Amino acid sequence: MSTDIASSESIGEINKYDFRTESKAFFKARKGVDAEIVNQISEMKNEPEWMRNYRLKALEIFNSKPMPNWGGAIDINFQDIYYYLKPTDKQGKTWDEVPQEIKDTFDKLGIPEAEKKFLSGVKAQFESEVVYGSLKQDLADQGVIFTDTDSAIRDYPDLVREYFGTIIPSTDNKFAALNSAVWSGGSFIYVPKGVKIEFPLQAYFRINAENMGQFERTLIIVDEGASVHYVEGCTAPMYSSESLHSAVVEIICKRGSRCRYTTIQNWANNIYNLVTKRAVAYADATMEWVDGNLGSKLTMKYPAVYMLEPGARGEILSIAFASKGQHQDAGAKLVHCAPHTTGQIISKSISKGGGRSSYRGLVKVEKGAKKSKCNVVCDALILDSKSRSDTYPYIEILEQDVSVGHEASVSRIGEEQMFYLMSRGLSNAEASTMIVNGFIEPLVKELPMEYAVEMNRLIQLQMEGSVG
Amino acid sequence: MTTTISRNDLAGFNQAGFNQLLERRIDPVWITQARKDAWAAFESMGWPNPRDENWMRSDLRGFKLDRYQPIDESETQSVQNAPVRLIQGVDVGGSLRSENGVVTAESLDPKYAAQGVIFGSLSRCARDHAELVKKYLHSQIDIHVDRFAALQAAMWTDGYFLYVPKNVVVDKPLHIHAAMGDGKVDLTHVLVVLEEGAETTVLFESTSSNEDADGFHCGGLELVLNARSNLRFVGLQDWGSGTWHFAHKRASVGQDANLQWTIAAMGARFAQVDQRVALVGPGASSHVNGVMFTRDKQHLTYNTIQQHSAPHCTSDFLYKAVLQDRSRTVWRGMIKVDVGADKTDGYQRNDNLLLSDNARADSIPGLEIKADDVRCTHGSTSGRVDEELIFYAQSRGFTRVEAVRLIVTGFFQQIFDRVTIESVREALGVAIARQVRQYE
Amino acid sequence: MASQRKEFQLACKLSDLRPNHPNTIEIDDRFVVVVLLNAQVFCLEDLCTHDGGTLGDGEMDGNCLVCPRHGAKFDVRNGEAMCMPATEPTLSHEVEVRGDEVFVRLRDTV
Repeated sequence: MSTDIASSESIGEINKYDFRTESKAFFKARKGVDAEIVNQISEMKNEPEWMRNYRLKALEIFNSKPMPNWGGAIDINFQDIYYYLKPTDKQGKTWDEVPQEIKDTFDKLGIPEAEKKFLSGVKAQFESEVVYGSLKQDLADQGVIFTDTDSAIRDYPDLVREYFGTIIPSTDNKFAALNSAVWSGGSFIYVPKGVKIEFPLQAYFRINAENMGQFERTLIIVDEGASVHYVEGCTAPMYSSESLHSAVVEIICKRGSRCRYTTIQNWANNIYNLVTKRAVAYADATMEWVDGNLGSKLTMKYPAVYMLEPGARGEILSIAFASKGQHQDAGAKLVHCAPHTTGQIISKSISKGGGRSSYRGLVKVEKGAKKSKCNVVCDALILDSKSRSDTYPYIEILEQDVSVGHEASVSRIGEEQMFYLMSRGLSNAEASTMIVNGFIEPLVKELPMEYAVEMNRLIQLQMEGSVG
Repeated sequence: MTTTISRNDLAGFNQAGFNQLLERRIDPVWITQARKDAWAAFESMGWPNPRDENWMRSDLRGFKLDRYQPIDESETQSVQNAPVRLIQGVDVGGSLRSENGVVTAESLDPKYAAQGVIFGSLSRCARDHAELVKKYLHSQIDIHVDRFAALQAAMWTDGYFLYVPKNVVVDKPLHIHAAMGDGKVDLTHVLVVLEEGAETTVLFESTSSNEDADGFHCGGLELVLNARSNLRFVGLQDWGSGTWHFAHKRASVGQDANLQWTIAAMGARFAQVDQRVALVGPGASSHVNGVMFTRDKQHLTYNTIQQHSAPHCTSDFLYKAVLQDRSRTVWRGMIKVDVGADKTDGYQRNDNLLLSDNARADSIPGLEIKADDVRCTHGSTSGRVDEELIFYAQSRGFTRVEAVRLIVTGFFQQIFDRVTIESVREALGVAIARQVRQYE
Repeated sequence: MASQRKEFQLACKLSDLRPNHPNTIEIDDRFVVVVLLNAQVFCLEDLCTHDGGTLGDGEMDGNCLVCPRHGAKFDVRNGEAMCMPATEPTLSHEVEVRGDEVFVRLRDTV
């Protein structure tokens, strides 16, 4: 099995999608999702037959499933969306067309010029290959595979096929089915036994045009004793013309391995962000989700860990900030399937300016999962009377020899705290911001430093009401 | 054109049965109309959808409505051997007894009657105190919420009406006993109304003629507390282990009024109970205590809601469940705080103790908060008996069963401490101790 | 704790079974699915261990009964969970076919 990263494919190359294949079938981007579109996506990517069939079957499943009767209000006309745009189509945008508020935020967050253009979709590639190129060589030397999922299907077919869709089958839910039919882009990571990657892998390292796609499909395999930290997204607001984003992330943590997956999502306010993320942890493996939800019109996302063998551990740290016009319906799921497994969920949510923040979670302890322990803490801050906060935890205990605890609270910022800070010269906004930053501190301290800095600044902006 | 209905012609819970019920009864016109509306609602609805959040953990497939027949009230009902537990050594101020959903005995201390207290059969009071009953009957329960609510509103046979006038204090507890025979039905309605400043205590128990009795209970309960009134309501549900138990229970608590509501769920093969307390006037408060103790194949679902519609209200729900054998409990608790319900203090807690490897406890506390100046918390714990405690007790001469009994009693102690009625604490303690299983 | 050995009870007629398809049957206050697969009869508890719902309206995929809601698969021969999102086996009950009659002995534990 080749462990070289496909270095022959130059970063961000879009030539592979060009007119060579056009002589076979002329692809014209159109809205809607049906078998023709799905076939064409598969064709454009030159996929093996098994993947094309997988997509077509998933489309049938998507069509047969009803919309969820819970969660946020989803008002989508599925036939009025582009499901696949050639990267060349995406280059149509100019810097002038990027909304002013996005540009302002970039400035305030101090985002470098090159990144700004990339993040706002103006350029299809990120021109910092020089900076990141040497990091990639380092990984290749250790046998780590870090590429995009499209390439992985072609370059590591056996490895991908062994795991793809095994954690989240197409039948899992309507949006997993949709993703399974039209997915494009996303990361594929394989970490060999015993390899511990010291620095976080970031999504934009594996630079290519499909970077911030609508339907990313990520698959991470951490072999025995290995460890990796993957970071997705960024605090800068992500602007997209397409309003439906539905990603799927599957993670396998083998015996003794460790994986942390950090997401900071700050999609613009017109976007539905409906994501299925699930990991399985084998004996003595640890899976950690660090999940920050700041943007989008509606996010529905419940990172999950299934602890399948003794000693496995799942930890989920979730923060949601809902401002005006936003509904964050986020949470976590822990399923204990073996004895001596431990789990922890910490959720912090904030609602402001009419926003609605909901925690939705599951702790399930299967029969036989003896001596398992799980603890859940959900704290919510409502900052004003127009906002709304919900908590919907589900606890299912099928085994007696366990210890499971859950507590949640909802309140506003304490008057005494405000009084104290303001009496020391802080303005109302400054005092609130400091308190909110303190509130989310358990999550922020787990972020890579540059994210933490950006996060604090972003919270400040949110609190001042000048963004979102 | 009434014809004598022979026993064999007695129809079931269907159109024919409903028509027979209307012909049998002497109800005021407004009640007959209400029944017809409810029947129309029943017919227009399907059975609960398993995709519905409140029903997805309840398997209704084993329930067959056509196995049961409505009671012919013209026939004397008599239920033997249904135990009475709550009033050992208690001097009650009044009592009502029903058998298979028909009230067969009524009594009220004349000193309360003299002050205007009404305590009697709902059917009779609907005639004798029409204005009062009409004002409050089905004011809290929405008959369209599911088929069971509609069926109950259409075909209730009798019930219990308690009315306490302004500022009257009924210092002795009032007792209600619903008794049901094996394979019989009970579609009674409880209606309790306290005017401003009124106070009373009600002890209500439901028991069957034999421990494993089959039966169908489809009940409604409404508690209306006007301003500054005070009600302690205790409900002990101990139907036979073959009984299907459905109930909608609603309370409305007015300004500065106080409700202490204790529910003990020990019997029935299957229970689906919706319990909702609405705090509608500023300063209202409610304390709810729930005890659930299950065994064998019982599957009990209690959905509870604390609704804060006014500011400065307090609600406090504590439900504790102990599970044995292959039993299952589903507890849903929701605190809803409406816009403007500032200075809300809402608290909810569910603790589960599993005594066997095959039991299952589902705990779903919830919060929906639309006001900001509030303090709402909830908690849930689940686990087993601490083996060290058992070992310690055994080393002091207790058998394992005795040790578990002590621990279970200790587990429920927090609830007992919140129940301010001595006879109830004792009765619950005895009932619980008796039910602790012998495990190897 | 060992489950008590119950008796075999009549579930259905062999000739009534739709082949390669779950047939939901009520026995002794419980619901099971009986499947006629390649001339053999198997019986599972009508319970998906993932979400607690029924399996009765699922379809067969080889040896597996597929839960219609989220795609969990259970091997009808032994109740094993074959794919996510289910991880726990569902109860598999003993079957005896006597002539045209199918008898089932219910288990209480896996």
